[in-house]
Amino acid sequence: MSAGSTATATGVTVSIVRDPALVRTVRLVAAAVARRAGQDEELVEEIRLAVGEACALLIGDEPDAAKSPVTIAIAVSDRISVEVVSHSPADVKAPPHSGIDGVERWALLRGLVENFAVEQAGPTTTVSMSWPIT
Amino acid sequence: MDLSLETRHEDGRTIIEVGGEIDVYTAPRLRDKITELVSEGSYNLVIDMQKVDFLDSTGLGVLVGGMKKVRAHDGSMRLICNQERLLKIFRITGLAKVFAIHDSQADALAER
Repeated sequence: MSAGSTATATGVTVSIVRDPALVRTVRLVAAAVARRAGQDEELVEEIRLAVGEACALLIGDEPDAAKSPVTIAIAVSDRISVEVVSHSPADVKAPPHSGIDGVERWALLRGLVENFAVEQAGPTTTVSMSWPIT
Repeated sequence: MDLSLETRHEDGRTIIEVGGEIDVYTAPRLRDKITELVSEGSYNLVIDMQKVDFLDSTGLGVLVGGMKKVRAHDGSMRLICNQERLLKIFRITGLAKVFAIHDSQADALAER
């Protein structure tokens, strides 16, 4: 198990191996960044949930620590922007991996985050989310 | 916070008090507990989530799977959840209409 993080002037980038145990660490980092940006606890909780959900979906595709890491970049400017990038193929149109029958794979994120997008380019899947600074 | 699971039997129902975080790492433990209880003949489950701090879609999937298991034995699953941040997750995914969600153990146990 390993994780690395790099602080930048505008945010934090974290890269984790595909170990579900590390998703909690990323959630804590995301919540800390949102709090440091002065956001209220309701938005902090939303960002914590959204980042954790995105990581869970991307790591859940291939929970193998030997495979390429998942990178989470959190930037703070006039918005809090999060990009979760997996360099392993994840079919964005696949049925819900979570095993919830009848619930679309990205339903929770689509419903939770107003500014949400998921894109696949070759083997790379990118989940992008952002929230206005309040 | 890790996941905590405490089980007790009351009035013909099995109550699982869940605490901590139900996520992609811990949800398999809840799934295994439900599977174990059902295999032992506990088909009427009450999942008390009042002390749950975090829930993602992996956890929702485990709850849906558990409900299918008990229904296969003509059983039932009731949830106790009074935290708005968790109720919001059930509403967003449409699962608020699927589960019987109660405010308290007394409320859940009063239902037959």
